[in-house]
Amino acid sequence: MRLNVDVAVIGGGVIGSAITYYLAKAGVKVVLLERRDICSGTSGACDQAVSMQTKNPGLVLEMALKSVQMYRHLSAELDYDLEFDQCGGMIPIENEQQLTIMKIFVEQQKNIGLDVSILDIGAARKIQPALGPKLVASTFSPMDGRVSPLRVAFGFAQAAARQGAIIKTRTEVRGIDIKAGRIRSVVTDQGIVNTNLAVDAGGVWAPRIGELAGISIPILPRRGQILVTEAVPGYIRGEIWSARYIVAKHHIEWVRQEDPVGAELGVGLSVSETAYGNLLIGGTREFAGYDTSTTPEALQAIVRHLLNIFPGCKDIHIIRTFAGLRPYTPDGMPILGPVEGIEGFVIAAGHEGDGVALAPVTGSMIAEYIAKGTLFPEISELGLQRFNQRAEMVASGSDEIG
Amino acid sequence: MGDDVLICRCKEVTEQEIRQAIDEGAYSVAGIKRRTGAGMGLCQGRTCQRLIVNILSGLTGIPAQVIERDTARPPVRPVKTSILLSLGECVDAGSGKGE
Repeated sequence: MRLNVDVAVIGGGVIGSAITYYLAKAGVKVVLLERRDICSGTSGACDQAVSMQTKNPGLVLEMALKSVQMYRHLSAELDYDLEFDQCGGMIPIENEQQLTIMKIFVEQQKNIGLDVSILDIGAARKIQPALGPKLVASTFSPMDGRVSPLRVAFGFAQAAARQGAIIKTRTEVRGIDIKAGRIRSVVTDQGIVNTNLAVDAGGVWAPRIGELAGISIPILPRRGQILVTEAVPGYIRGEIWSARYIVAKHHIEWVRQEDPVGAELGVGLSVSETAYGNLLIGGTREFAGYDTSTTPEALQAIVRHLLNIFPGCKDIHIIRTFAGLRPYTPDGMPILGPVEGIEGFVIAAGHEGDGVALAPVTGSMIAEYIAKGTLFPEISELGLQRFNQRAEMVASGSDEIG
Repeated sequence: MGDDVLICRCKEVTEQEIRQAIDEGAYSVAGIKRRTGAGMGLCQGRTCQRLIVNILSGLTGIPAQVIERDTARPPVRPVKTSILLSLGECVDAGSGKGE
């Protein structure tokens, strides 16, 4: 293989596939290089939430709101059923301390423009009859949705191919040739790709691609374990996260008092019904290297948390468990845009658990930046250089790993 | 076999759909599963995995022995959440393959 292209996108998950599609749509000559298969890594081992409520109020929530608008017409645009459903979502609240935190969180989200409210437990049960007796309240937002990440990755990749993109699976990037501070080619085990622009959409493997260009990318794999149930259509309505999920995502130290084991594993509940009626029940946030084993203690911690909120789930059967690796960054936000010092190296990685929600907006922004030079605020603020400018954030993030 | 023969009975995936997934680039059992849903049902591929391996081998020319199987994961058969909670130390964790 010897290719001459404008852009080589590295990584065939939801992010890389989306970028490839939007580049091809803009008329850019692009190749997608994927080490294994489309959707064979993180995007094939995650849940399916297009969540607004779990987003930190700020840039990421703003991006998510743009993304959910895109998802509404994306199945038609890609001519591929993404199984998108803007079904709404709830965050059940277990106690007064969580309620205090969630009130602040919800106010901040409203200020960004999210339609979200806190319902008393009676009103919440009218929407969600399965809620258990120990709960005190719940949030509700009609904005949350769900989508099949498998369908998103395949849908983008196939539509990209129809727009003229070259899709190369089982093609591993082995080197990035840089001369005079500028990318000249990408070397793979299948041959050389001549290009002046490479997009690192490698997710948890993005640092390995960065290394080939001499760039240090502070992404770490963070394991998320998930259980799959038999089909129980309609039992749980809309997307669910526990208030502890929010706390575990943004302030894990607050969970340590009530559940040290759960806190160590980063357990927070997420429940989502697939298009076929199975529930996906997550999850954990663990630093375990690239190990994708499931562990009995984590699965039990998730189930314990589930039954506190939905006690009626005690008779539902688990048919499968799995684990995937989320690309963690020290400040919980993705790394987007060019890298100072190496012309032609663009990063689009580090979305942790937000990649499914943010894939369309990430893909279109990165493609528009490459094709037209549009410098979105997201791209200027979420560049790799923020970690050099704010080295103290990296240090505090590392403390959390221990 | 005819193209409309069911290969995955749980998810009702036909041989034609499996063939189409291979046309689209699938080369492993997981690749078929992610494209078609085959093996995602109640039996978790216990019945269809061997059939899928044979179809894959026939169409791709990859010997059946080296076709990548799906990762084996607990539980071995469907188990109630309440039973899972009470299992204590005897639960055997599945091992991932560094995916």
